[in-house]
Amino acid sequence: MIPLELYILLASVMFAIGLYGLATQRNGIKLMMCTEILLNSANINLVAFSAYQPNVNGQVFALFSIALAAAEAGIGLAILITLYRLYGTIDLDNINAMRW
Amino acid sequence: MSNEISLMIAIPLIGAVLAFLTRSRGLARIVALLASLAPLIISLQMYMGFDKSSKMMQYVESYDWVPSLGIKYTLGVDGIGMPLVLLSTIVSVLVIVYSWGENHRPNQFFALLLLNEVGVLGVFTALDFFLFYIFWEIVLIPMFFLIGIWGGPRKDYAAIKFFIYTHVASLVMLISIFALYFTYRTPEGLHTMDMLTLLQATSDTTIFPTALLNLIFLGLLLGFLVKMPAFPFHTWLPDAHVEAPTAGSVVLAALLLKMGGYGLFRVIMPMLPSVSDMFVTLLAVIGVISIVYGGFMALAQKDIKKLVAYSSVSHMGYVTLGAVALTTMSVQGAMFQQFSHGLITCVLFMSAGTIQHTVGTRIIADLGGLADRMPRFAFLMLAGFLASLGLPGMSGFVAEFLVLTGSYATMPYYVLFVIFAGIAVTAGYHLWAVQKVMFGPILKKYLDVHDAHSYELLSMSLLILLVILFGVQPGLITDMMGVAAQQLIYDPVMTLSQMGVI
Amino acid sequence: MYSDYAYLIVGLPVLAFVLTIFLGWHLPKGGGFFTVLATFGGFILSYGIFKEIYPNEILHQSMHWFANFNVGILIDPLALVMLLMVTFVCTLIHTYALGYMDGDHGMARYFAEAGLFTASMLGLIFSDNILQLFIFWELVGLCSYLLIGFWYRKPSAAAAAKKAFLVTRVGDVMFLAAIVLLYNNLASLNLTLPPGEYLLQFKVIYQNVAAIPPDQLTYIALLFFGGAVGKSGQFPLHVWLPDAMEGPTTVSAMIHAATMVTAGVYLVARLFPLFYAAPSALLIVAYVGGFTALFAATMGLTAFDIKRVLAFSTVSQLGYMMLALGAGAVVGAASVGVSIFHLIGHSFLKALLFLCAGSVIHAVNTNDMREMGGVGKYMKYTAMTMAAGGLALAGFPLTTGFFSKDEILVVAWEYGSATTDFIPYILGILGALLTAFYTFRLWFVTFTGEPRSDYHKHESPWIMLGPLMVLAFFALFFGLGAQEPFYHYLESNFEHYDVNFEALAAVGQHHIEEGEAAHEPFIIKILPIIVGVGGILLAILFYYPRFRKLDTRKFTTENDPIRRILLKGYYQHEIYTAWFAETVVYGIALLSNMVDIKIVDATLNKISETTVAFGGSLRKAQTGIIQNYILAIIFGVVVLVVLIKLWLEVSI
Repeated sequence: MIPLELYILLASVMFAIGLYGLATQRNGIKLMMCTEILLNSANINLVAFSAYQPNVNGQVFALFSIALAAAEAGIGLAILITLYRLYGTIDLDNINAMRW
Repeated sequence: MSNEISLMIAIPLIGAVLAFLTRSRGLARIVALLASLAPLIISLQMYMGFDKSSKMMQYVESYDWVPSLGIKYTLGVDGIGMPLVLLSTIVSVLVIVYSWGENHRPNQFFALLLLNEVGVLGVFTALDFFLFYIFWEIVLIPMFFLIGIWGGPRKDYAAIKFFIYTHVASLVMLISIFALYFTYRTPEGLHTMDMLTLLQATSDTTIFPTALLNLIFLGLLLGFLVKMPAFPFHTWLPDAHVEAPTAGSVVLAALLLKMGGYGLFRVIMPMLPSVSDMFVTLLAVIGVISIVYGGFMALAQKDIKKLVAYSSVSHMGYVTLGAVALTTMSVQGAMFQQFSHGLITCVLFMSAGTIQHTVGTRIIADLGGLADRMPRFAFLMLAGFLASLGLPGMSGFVAEFLVLTGSYATMPYYVLFVIFAGIAVTAGYHLWAVQKVMFGPILKKYLDVHDAHSYELLSMSLLILLVILFGVQPGLITDMMGVAAQQLIYDPVMTLSQMGVI
Repeated sequence: MYSDYAYLIVGLPVLAFVLTIFLGWHLPKGGGFFTVLATFGGFILSYGIFKEIYPNEILHQSMHWFANFNVGILIDPLALVMLLMVTFVCTLIHTYALGYMDGDHGMARYFAEAGLFTASMLGLIFSDNILQLFIFWELVGLCSYLLIGFWYRKPSAAAAAKKAFLVTRVGDVMFLAAIVLLYNNLASLNLTLPPGEYLLQFKVIYQNVAAIPPDQLTYIALLFFGGAVGKSGQFPLHVWLPDAMEGPTTVSAMIHAATMVTAGVYLVARLFPLFYAAPSALLIVAYVGGFTALFAATMGLTAFDIKRVLAFSTVSQLGYMMLALGAGAVVGAASVGVSIFHLIGHSFLKALLFLCAGSVIHAVNTNDMREMGGVGKYMKYTAMTMAAGGLALAGFPLTTGFFSKDEILVVAWEYGSATTDFIPYILGILGALLTAFYTFRLWFVTFTGEPRSDYHKHESPWIMLGPLMVLAFFALFFGLGAQEPFYHYLESNFEHYDVNFEALAAVGQHHIEEGEAAHEPFIIKILPIIVGVGGILLAILFYYPRFRKLDTRKFTTENDPIRRILLKGYYQHEIYTAWFAETVVYGIALLSNMVDIKIVDATLNKISETTVAFGGSLRKAQTGIIQNYILAIIFGVVVLVVLIKLWLEVSI
């Protein structure tokens, strides 16, 4: 059996990648992808801990999380499409109508 | 257990939803009229069945709401609340009649008026602080939108000023309510929001040390004084009135201001004996300043609606003064002033509104000779202004007379001297405004002005009739006020269970 | 039987008011006959009651109103003579108005308001308590406001109406203050009243004034007198009366003769026991009355407006009535009879004079005497009746005015000889001389000489002349016939209430006359005749063309400062309106407006600005750039982790 530490390591690496992406990217789609990576790293953790404990709560949570991520992606993409229609770009630096 | 009050509050609420959903103006206003007539009929029935010599709460309803937090749904009226319930239902009907011709988003307009009625009726009947506070805040919402959507040129400023000012004050009040709530425990060791129980407990210094109670009292007082409004918390009122649509002004002055006065009688007066004596002096000073200062301010105004707004400040000063003079007669007079001012001020604001939309301006200096083209309206407006300046035979005089006569016994004589000077000024600005607006030769630009709409004249004349009725026969409503005043001054607060009504 | 319907004395005119205001527009003459008939009905009722209760009964009905107050009807001798006079004179004036107002578009409004005016005055008279009296008192003020401003399209009329209401309102405020004071003083006596009696009823007041502290009594009496000063146009609140001429002449007649201005005198007479018990209150009444009598007469000398002359004479005559009441400090309750007798006689003759003036104005179409002249040639009846009124006003022997004014001067003399204070008497005598002079100046300038402008030369219709004849008869002969029984009847007024005047005199510190008063010397007896006839002769010498011996121009010029002051009415407009109302009061108003904007509202705005500015600086932290937020989150997490780690280390 693969030791738990490796899952955690994988999840940490993915989390770091996601955070790095969020911190450096300007493109809306890329930001959403980074968010997905972050969520998935959390899911991996949930599933891994669940597998090493004799109960399925973690996996249930992971399923919830995936469903939520799907909804979030749907809404996020919809927002981005609307933004693209309005501004002709999805570079978030240019979308500053509600910024002071 | 009776259910009149719940019904009276529920019908306009349902009416508000229905009116909001209607598509046409015709349907909206009929729904609104019916939904406001029903509470009027119920309140008249309640008035008929009201035992005027009883000190007990009547028509009490009480149900558990959130038992774990000690919150109940308790409603009931006594001599303090009943007249104001009657006033609210009367004014709500008449203001809907007056707005019969509203064109701009009529369904929302009428829905908001009905929602407003729900709020004020709730405030005047709620006997649970939690419920009371909910209704107290509900009232803000329709008024905010009435000013913000149907208002004049500076409506955004006025709406926000109104909302924030009164809301901040009621938040302070809420803190005081929480302080009452968390300090007091029932014999079973539970918290309660029951208004009368808490008020009764305030007289017990072992539960509420005077220092704490002073703070609580101050918070509650702020909430009510801002609503009244009393000097120096009055500045939101002229702005709100000037920008509000006529119906909004009418409801604001006739009903919303009365919530402050009602709080004074219901909450403040029972606490007065247990708080620092300084507060009586403070309130008396505020009352007197409001009367005189409001009068002078009104004299300086150029906009007729602002003039009327300041006259409200002046007249509500009598309520404060009468309440703290603490004689049966003065308190009775203060309560009657609430009722009477509610009726009279409606006529005044309706006059200002009618002038605004027939002539197009409310600046007194630009008006003149309108009586020539609007004789019926001129008659009603003159009657309203005369009632407001305290002409005997109309209800305003009775109220002011009772307050003055009652206050003399406990107030220093120079207070009365100042007020009498104020009365003369009051006559001055009323007559000056009427003369400038109505009399003299008609200005050329107003030659094609027509008389007011029949529905406007109808609601104004009904109000004048009521003003005269209660001026000639004040006993119809002062009797129950006298009993309530007697109880407020001389008897300790009784809880509902001590009254044996639940 | 009439007594059961006493309430109809007020009820009928109120009914007429309602009928005329709703139906009058569709009826001929604006439905004015409703008002005439209602007022006449009031007269019949009053006369019936007179027959029933004369001479030693009073009529009192009362019912509970609200709180501690009642409404009620009290008809005692004082009220009864007033009721008879008001209903009688008003009937005549309303009849006259049917002719005078004919053709005016607002006739229905006129008669409605006139009906209400009459009703209010009648209600004022028969009130059995001071609060009810005050209510009708204010309604009288309201009606005068409406009627003076009857031609509201005229700016001067609207301004005069406002002035009348405001100036009398100043008095009314004092009246109200007096009621408040009186009520609280009576309440603090802790009386146990039998059921059906109330604190503010006159009966209760009369019987308990002696128990009120004297200094409080003086305040109360002076405040009541303040109300009377406002209503009766006494100095210094007389300024509204001359301006009140802006209304139709019939309104002036009503205000000056029957209703309104007599209310002030009536109030003082009604509360005479209270005034009597209050130290020095009657002294002030006498002084104000005497001063006004002379002061107003001087202004009557120069006025050109025919109605203004009459208005000043009203002010002056009301001063006499007050003077008579003030002399009551010495002669006691008898002064009420003297004063009210002059009031009644004056209302006949003043109604007559005003209606005659109205008849002239109706024909000539101007108020200015300088444009009249020689009117007598074309209006014989008017001239004759006006001469009758003038003689009565001037105090020509054997006319009504002679008897009443003579009696006032007699009591003023008695007052003087008892207190060695002859000033009121001297003021009265001088006023009488001037009265005779300006009355006949008016008559000669108007009716004799050559026409000074082109006016319509015709006599008025009979519906107007009829009332003039009746009034002229009463102005001439009422005094001769009614004087003695009148004094006796009114002297009995306060006996119905068991008023103990000796006890009151002790409170009020008056000396009571022992036995018969010292007889006045012969010269004092004939002095009123001398000044009355002398004044008339003087006027003949100045103004009657046929006997003109003296020229006014020798005595005064256009720039004469005294003449200027008189014409300007002692600069009262400048002082009251321009200085006091528009500068002082309005100045305070503007000042408080400034305070409101600059201090009260500015403080509030400052608070909200500070809050907003604080929020504004906090807002800078929200850059709106997601990357910044993420960096902040990472940083925060790192700090948290480190802190938790450290905490764990420390705690272990």
